[in-house]
Amino acid sequence: MNCDTMKSQVFPYVDGELPAALRGEMEAHFAECDSCRHVVEQELAFRDAYVVRLRPDPTPPHLRDRINHFLTGLVEQRARTRRRWYKPWLFMTSAIVLLAIGVVGGMQLAAVLERGNTLDEVVEASLDQHQKLGRGQLPPDIVGLSPRAAEDWFRKRVDFKVSLPDMKKPNVALVGARISRLANAEVAAIDYKLDHDHVSLFIMPGEAYNQLGLSEKPRFKVVKRRGFDVVIWRHQSTGYTLVSEIGVRACHVCHAPNATFDGASLDSFLRL
Amino acid sequence: MDKVVEFQAFIAGCLDSLHNYAMLLARPPEDYEDLLQESLLKAFNGFDTFDRDLPFKAWVFAIIRNTHIDRQRRRKTSSLEDPLNDTAGLLQSPLFSIPLAPEDILLRQETVERVREGIRRLPTLMREVVELRDIEGLSYRTISSIIDRPIGTVMSRLYRGRNLLRTYLVEPRRQDGHATRGTP
Repeated sequence: MNCDTMKSQVFPYVDGELPAALRGEMEAHFAECDSCRHVVEQELAFRDAYVVRLRPDPTPPHLRDRINHFLTGLVEQRARTRRRWYKPWLFMTSAIVLLAIGVVGGMQLAAVLERGNTLDEVVEASLDQHQKLGRGQLPPDIVGLSPRAAEDWFRKRVDFKVSLPDMKKPNVALVGARISRLANAEVAAIDYKLDHDHVSLFIMPGEAYNQLGLSEKPRFKVVKRRGFDVVIWRHQSTGYTLVSEIGVRACHVCHAPNATFDGASLDSFLRL
Repeated sequence: MDKVVEFQAFIAGCLDSLHNYAMLLARPPEDYEDLLQESLLKAFNGFDTFDRDLPFKAWVFAIIRNTHIDRQRRRKTSSLEDPLNDTAGLLQSPLFSIPLAPEDILLRQETVERVREGIRRLPTLMREVVELRDIEGLSYRTISSIIDRPIGTVMSRLYRGRNLLRTYLVEPRRQDGHATRGTP
């Protein structure tokens, strides 16, 4: 190490940000170079005299009061929200609102069915959300959680069951998840990475899937659109949409590559 | 522990730091209280996603910064009015490339308050990393995640900011004994 390199690294050294090996090289250099040792000693003295004594400016009393008031408001708001659920009239109001939503939703669904393009709309909406998730335009609500922790997170927030596959494959990662809207319903949107490809899985409640009015056969509705592969299906009381650019390989998020169903391979079901 | 109580405890532990950072970013400066409150509401709403292994204040710093950017976009503020687009202060200059030994400053026995005033005078992008490192004590990696820039950018801004601070500190003292306070 020469003196120029040493001087360029003096701040990271004093900040304790250098890797051990580079730190060792610098210390070996100080032992032989009085000039560089002096520079570092001055920096350490400057840090001890001033930097370690720097503190953020104290919050003005009026702002501290305002923030305390705001935080207290959060407590009261939460308490009100909890109490509110015990009021019988709220149940009635909620029932009326839900009924109204049901009627309006039913009318909208009828209109959609008349147009006969429900599948197209779901495909387009899924594609749109898949692209936005991949570009970060739909930021995840949760990141870096295990499948079980993500399931727990959804359990507290949606009224349908979200079951996620165990991530025991080294090439599959759960990037993030969020609550999103698809087909006029709240859905769980899960962003996976399989090797280097994004795969989006949307999980919707059975009622929402039923309202799509899709036929039972084929079991897997497979659509290729603008270079993307979309698969829509129902399993028990839950609807699923899987979007990717990697064809049947997207199914490997949940299934082993050689998995079979009723003796048939994944490819034979999907024919992507 | 109840979510609200835990959140309140976290905020109480770092309110000065959060207030400082909001004041550093807000434009116009008097908006910093609204910026702080809007950011705290977002932090509360997203508190379930906070990773307890990370420093809480660093998580809220990132929220304050993103909220500031959203507010600037909503207002369609010109880039010149946005302190985070103030790249003029980061232009290459021989001044910033010469590491200044702090010997003279040590000999002059400056006060900590004068050093603090010098930091306030720095261009915002340099001041931001100098404050996050030297006042808040955050690591380069954490600062990099807050400002959403590579660690190399953090190191470069820190290097230039600290050197510029030293030039302020070796300037002849003003008659009134105070350095000019830069925009917060």
